[in-house]
Amino acid sequence: MSVTTNDAPATVEPAAPEAPRGRRGFVAGGHYIPYVMILPAAAALVAVMGYPLFELFDLSFQNVNRYAVLVNPSLAEYLGFEGYTKVLSDGQFWEVVLRSFLFTVELVTLSMVLGMLFALLLNRVSTWVKITVVTVLMFVWAIPALVTGTVFRWIFASTGGIADYVLHLVTGSESVKHYDWFADPTVGLYVVGAAVIVWGALPFLVLGLNAALTQVPKELVEAARLDGANALQTFRHVTVPVIKPFLTLSASLSFIWDFQVFAQIYALRNTSPEPEYWTIGTYLYQKGVVSSHYSSSAVISIAMILLMLAVLVFYIRQVVKIGAQD
Amino acid sequence: MAATDIKAAPAQPAATAPAKAPRRARKTREAGRSPVMTAVWNTVALGFAAVMGFPIYWMVITTFKTNKDLIAKDPTFWPSSFSFESFTTIFDDKAFIPALQNTVLITVGSVLLGLVVGFLAAVAVARFEFRGRNFFIVTMLIVQMVPLLAIIIPLYVVMNGAGLTGALLGVVLAYLVFTIPYVVWTLRSFIVNIPAELDEAAMVDGCTKWGAFFRIVLPLTLPGLVTTGVYSWIQAWNEFIVANTLLSSGGKQTSMIWLTFYSTTPTRGADYGAQMAGALLVSLPVILLFVIFQKKVSAGLTAGAVKG
Repeated sequence: MSVTTNDAPATVEPAAPEAPRGRRGFVAGGHYIPYVMILPAAAALVAVMGYPLFELFDLSFQNVNRYAVLVNPSLAEYLGFEGYTKVLSDGQFWEVVLRSFLFTVELVTLSMVLGMLFALLLNRVSTWVKITVVTVLMFVWAIPALVTGTVFRWIFASTGGIADYVLHLVTGSESVKHYDWFADPTVGLYVVGAAVIVWGALPFLVLGLNAALTQVPKELVEAARLDGANALQTFRHVTVPVIKPFLTLSASLSFIWDFQVFAQIYALRNTSPEPEYWTIGTYLYQKGVVSSHYSSSAVISIAMILLMLAVLVFYIRQVVKIGAQD
Repeated sequence: MAATDIKAAPAQPAATAPAKAPRRARKTREAGRSPVMTAVWNTVALGFAAVMGFPIYWMVITTFKTNKDLIAKDPTFWPSSFSFESFTTIFDDKAFIPALQNTVLITVGSVLLGLVVGFLAAVAVARFEFRGRNFFIVTMLIVQMVPLLAIIIPLYVVMNGAGLTGALLGVVLAYLVFTIPYVVWTLRSFIVNIPAELDEAAMVDGCTKWGAFFRIVLPLTLPGLVTTGVYSWIQAWNEFIVANTLLSSGGKQTSMIWLTFYSTTPTRGADYGAQMAGALLVSLPVILLFVIFQKKVSAGLTAGAVKG
């Protein structure tokens, strides 16, 4: 840990002196005090995260998949890696993992690119337009994910849905009026599902990226322009390096949110998503909560956690760096 | 400094930039840009705002439509007459108010508990050098990244063993998983920025330890407490999976669970007016928080490590 903590650039905050640590201020006193203070937090996290994680591993080696075992726990037994073999040799599992990755890549790319474009756009508009856009974005941000799914289900409904009606107005075609967006799951997930999630993700990204852009020194941009760089080159070689910490951070956060997405799809498909809509979050819920395959879902959970952590090493490093600087 | 930048920055476009931009600064900024291009960009941006805002507009307008408008062959962009029937339907639903009460109890409980416990740990981490400190901080970070969904089954098993399934307390405790790490991460940077000399000076001037704490440290941490409190409130209010799983056996439900049940019951399934009214009412407290604490929310959500 200390390795990552120490490589914070020393030049970042010249004004702040080395923060006095150790027992100082009103808490000066015995050695045991900090431990007493973190005890409640540590105890709570062990109880609601640590122990369940242990239980998760325990379950993953058992056979708690059948009703008989649920009703009569004495029938539970350890099967070793049999549960893992079963889940990992299940074609549907890999299908879901692949779909999750494709969907996540689509979502992260779409939301980062759109977020960046609109963040740049915000710097070029008149003040009153900016205030309007920001206000709308705050409202969008405030809508809970579950509600978003419900609202979009209504917008894309095949009877009375406004999306179809607008398409009808634009194309003039009568047949699109009752187009069923959810009939083809590929369209339902990768178009409507993506729209729901990107819509909800944009406010954070647009406002965050726009704020990060204000950190780019104007002089640097002007200097690059004087040296003959075009807009794209300036963006790539001046803007991107400056806002890189926030770019990494927001891309990682988008990955975390999008990879485990659940509520939007769940509400969009009216609480019972079809198998073709299953991404790893919905799949897990289906296996674990709906059909009570506790052990199988434990294996899936572990796979999910490992997949996320593998991608998120970057994010952890970034945050630890940032955290070490204050 | 980078950390503070990220924290403080998102508030700027919302408030500082538009409000404070003096005329002179605006002129120099726009010097290199033609008014024509500004008009083009303005149009594009307003189009973007319209697309983003439309679902909310549609949700709100649907709640005021009469049944006649709702079942009309073609959807109407503006109701032919306003009706509050959708809201009456919601308030007539006997499950709505109890669900709301449960949500309030759970939210208030987890915010208060999360703040107290997290604040204690944040002070320890910010003001003490102790063995295991870095380990504790990094653990907080990793805890935040374990998806709640991934531990939902074992969490149910553990809570069931403790006799806490079907009880609001179980949900409150479960929510500590996301409140505590966030509170610790965010408050830590607030407390680090309060010089220890300040409370030492207060003690030299005759304050007791607790006096120094209540007069110096607590007031200076207050903005941080508000930010993290608002954030925890939003998280707890919107949470669905844990509440749905832990409360399934107790006959209790939160507003979010009520909403999904409501829109799936055969009689309500097609009543989009009432569904939208319910959705609007359920998200109202969060919308209000956003409006009131706009700057703090956007700053707070980008601070530290967040989970959505």
